[in-house]
Amino acid sequence: MAKEFSYLNMKREYSYIGKSLKRTDILDKVTGRGKFAADLKFSNMLYGKLIRSTEAHARIIKIDTSEAEKLPGVRAIITAKDVPSIKYGLSPARYDENIFCIDKVRYYGDKIGAICAVDEETLYKALKLIKVEYEVLPAVFTPAEAAKPDAPQIFEEYPGNINTEIHLEFGDVEKAKQEAYYIRTDRLQGQRTLHGFIEPHCSIAYWEGKRVTIHSAHQSAHYLQHHIARIFDMKEGDVRVVLPYIGGGFGGKVDISGLDIAAVALSKITGQPVKMFYDLEEVWYNGRARHGMDMKYTTGVTKEGKILFVENETILDGGAYTGLGVASAYYAGALLTVLYDFDNYRFDAYRYVTNLPPCGAQRGHGQPHPRYAFESHLDHIAEDLGMDPIEIRLINARKANTVTPNGYEVKSYYLKEANEMARDASGWKDKKGKLPVGRGIGVGNGGFVTGAGYCMYRTDLPHSVAMIKIYDDGTHAIVYTNAVDIGQGSDTVLTQMAAQAMGYPYEDITICTRDTDLSTLDFGAYASRQTLMAGWAVKRAGEDVKRKILAQAAEMLKVKEDGGYRFGKLTPEELDCEEGIVFVKQEPAVNITFAEVARAYFVKHGVLIGRGYYHPGKLGGTHKGAAVGTSPAYSSATQVAEVEVDMETGLTKVVGTWDVHDSGFVVNPQLLHGQVHGAFSMGIGETIWEKVVFDEKGKVLNGNFAEYRLPTALDMPYVESLVLDTFEPNGPWGVKEVGEGATTPTLGCVANAVYDAIGVRISELPLTPEKIWRALKEKEAKEKGGK
Amino acid sequence: MYLPDFEYFTPDSVEEACQLLSKYGPKAMAIAGGTDIVVKMKKEVLAPEILVSIGHLPELKKIEYVPGKGVVIGAGVTHNEVQNSKILQEKYLSVCEAAHQMANNQVRNLGTIGGNISNAVPSADMPPILIALDTTVKIVGSKKERTLPLEDVFKGPNQTVLEHDELITEFVIPDGSFTGSTYLKFGLRASGALAVVGVAASVQMDGGVIKDARIVLGAVSPVPLRAKEAENLLKGKQASEELFEEAGVIASGECRPISDIRASAEYRRDMVRVFTRRALLKAVNEGHV
Repeated sequence: MAKEFSYLNMKREYSYIGKSLKRTDILDKVTGRGKFAADLKFSNMLYGKLIRSTEAHARIIKIDTSEAEKLPGVRAIITAKDVPSIKYGLSPARYDENIFCIDKVRYYGDKIGAICAVDEETLYKALKLIKVEYEVLPAVFTPAEAAKPDAPQIFEEYPGNINTEIHLEFGDVEKAKQEAYYIRTDRLQGQRTLHGFIEPHCSIAYWEGKRVTIHSAHQSAHYLQHHIARIFDMKEGDVRVVLPYIGGGFGGKVDISGLDIAAVALSKITGQPVKMFYDLEEVWYNGRARHGMDMKYTTGVTKEGKILFVENETILDGGAYTGLGVASAYYAGALLTVLYDFDNYRFDAYRYVTNLPPCGAQRGHGQPHPRYAFESHLDHIAEDLGMDPIEIRLINARKANTVTPNGYEVKSYYLKEANEMARDASGWKDKKGKLPVGRGIGVGNGGFVTGAGYCMYRTDLPHSVAMIKIYDDGTHAIVYTNAVDIGQGSDTVLTQMAAQAMGYPYEDITICTRDTDLSTLDFGAYASRQTLMAGWAVKRAGEDVKRKILAQAAEMLKVKEDGGYRFGKLTPEELDCEEGIVFVKQEPAVNITFAEVARAYFVKHGVLIGRGYYHPGKLGGTHKGAAVGTSPAYSSATQVAEVEVDMETGLTKVVGTWDVHDSGFVVNPQLLHGQVHGAFSMGIGETIWEKVVFDEKGKVLNGNFAEYRLPTALDMPYVESLVLDTFEPNGPWGVKEVGEGATTPTLGCVANAVYDAIGVRISELPLTPEKIWRALKEKEAKEKGGK
Repeated sequence: MYLPDFEYFTPDSVEEACQLLSKYGPKAMAIAGGTDIVVKMKKEVLAPEILVSIGHLPELKKIEYVPGKGVVIGAGVTHNEVQNSKILQEKYLSVCEAAHQMANNQVRNLGTIGGNISNAVPSADMPPILIALDTTVKIVGSKKERTLPLEDVFKGPNQTVLEHDELITEFVIPDGSFTGSTYLKFGLRASGALAVVGVAASVQMDGGVIKDARIVLGAVSPVPLRAKEAENLLKGKQASEELFEEAGVIASGECRPISDIRASAEYRRDMVRVFTRRALLKAVNEGHV
């Protein structure tokens, strides 16, 4: 057998990557100069809002807009009859949403129509004058209600209210059951959460002849362009999408929002630019965040703790429409096999539609809840076997250069090493089992795809394309890519990569992004794809520039014969370019500036352009849903959390956290650490505080940041973010993702730490003080009763 | 959300403010920091046609010690001004600590102590500690002035004894014989969370014996509540953790909590027990009022 190839400890030094260079957007962001969608104003711009349902499930009898139309300043009011009746969504298999509700509304907040007026004041006044008459229908608010035989049917196309049903088996689970030494079942629930970005969605559209331009707070210029063109039966080339700075996305700005569509329709009718926007509370209705999940895991292991099989039964509360939800359902089961190496796996899932706001993707798409459930489950198995929780993870961690039973090819993968490093950094051995009552330590594993292997709709387009243009005199470079910086720092990372690929100064590069007219195709910011996929395109474009520069320089540089070299022409292979200087590799003193060479190229050939693109090729297996979870590269991560629980109040304080990431080569360490800190904030919030709460009519009760409690800076623990030195062969310079993967272990590791502290498992997130208090009371009563 | 139309007055004195409130009747409301009223107007919970600004009035901005009377705090003083006041830090550090636990820094910068009281939200953080220190309130109207114990100001959630032409102008924390006090807030995160339970305690100790005590509960009844039975239990007794636990049990029987989105009544009751005990311990041990 050939020696196993390792991608560990391959770190190399570079001029512009592997360094925490200053963010490209830093001055715009800290001075407030940078413009977000809500800051944009155009002359004659109108202000618009959606007319939203105030019933969870009802037939629309009549929409009376007459009083609103009489109000001076109201420019247009549109409903379903004024727009195409086409259905849309994100996955062609589940286009189930109309621009405006045609027959009935399916959740409180559903889109009935849209209105625009000359100013916000008129707009809000007019909204109040619109009267909608409903025939109220019985509604269902949980998958359990939706699954009842006599439950009201929300969609004709989803009998039994089942939106997505998945039944997959790999290996032979029944056979493995016979061989297992120990089998255990656990059932846990994850709640419906919200991303918590502070910029509500906003979209501005205007028409110029047959073309429409949309400025939107969105995570993908391409998908927005594609779907607007499809919905309005236009050519993609007639739809220009411009994305300003984005105030956070986390998956909540991937779905095509009603605002985008309404802005296009209203500006067409009025002939004026129309700005559509959500107030913060409306984001709770339209944010499309994490699904609530009910997860049952049955796992069989050997005496030594090696996993032989896993059965995973997951029920998702999808809310009213699909959007990204099909992918969420597949993701809920897909990636477990990447983390742990076992052959026999059964995954059954049901995504139900309910009369609540639709769910979609949120950081770690479909993963954090399943990770929470399985990592909790695994801790119980370890406990039952008398094993240390990290020990059972070391035994089962997947290794590099392997293929999962569901067909994913995993190249670099160092979860075992991540566990070891996290164990040592956190002082695990001195703490586990040795902390006083009320104090606990827990571990959780996770990871994510580095970009999805397939486009959301069927196409042969490359996933990322880039172009670099050098100024005429060679003194500046522009990088073109429609990668979307939603705050994660992709503009900075891609600029660093362009600098490195060309050998050109970072500070002399400007990045031109997020504009389908000016820049080049990219599928956008989702599935943690920008650094690897847009990175490949930018790297290749930079190398294309460098190739042309070296060829030109070869004609301009001369070396002496007596040094062993020839007079006159050199070959490009004898040259290199770094930090703006082209030099002879064997005699670096013979050199010329990049700028001089670029200018000479311009004089001779015209504009100097480099081009690059990336397509991941065919990936994955052949089973139904095989495309979800495919990726050129998988990150892995281990997190450890230490908590202190007030045994009287149930209040959990997370006191310390450690993250070790197997993230491939790290282009900008500071940005990576920022992602890890943010992931802990999001994950800790979801573990302890956050849950979207509804009343009996399906109306959100905590649609604000006072009652939907995200952690504040004061709630944040000590964070240690560590990086394994790994290299991913499928990534440019060996990169992998960090942004989403970092959230996936957090819920599990904090929940395990709470379990370690209090000795009782709470099977439903979030672990609020009251739930812990109640669990402790019940435990106490049981112990008393037992005596 | 959009702020509806309203008229706005900036009077030069409390007297003029009261006259305006009297003249326009219930359709007029006073505004100081606006941290509550503006939000409620945007949400259409309140719809005053006239706002009378009082936050700028210098006579409401003082914090001073008047010998023989006590510490006088103007109603227009913000929570951050309370928190940072040298006089209060020296004499009633517990009041500063309570102010610091309010909401978040932005709200503390704008919101006033008078507003916090007049608003009469059951979970408000300032009433328990001020009541525990026997604070009195000066109320000025267009025709009369009166002084009341703060405890008697509240009638129910968002309801006080103030008539619509009346304003709270100042609070007086009288020179007292308390040897220790504290306010413990139990919120669901470290900042920007309303109290699920708030407990203020003040004690007058004679060696190890409790001569007098006040226990005031927030967020567990329609108005800030004195746990008088628990207070009576303590008087004349030797301080001990067991005694404070017993006081906590009694206080949890005295409160009248509701279940809401933040916590159940059952949980709040038990938290009253826990935080009453903890507050008494802290008031006795920490040694500052």
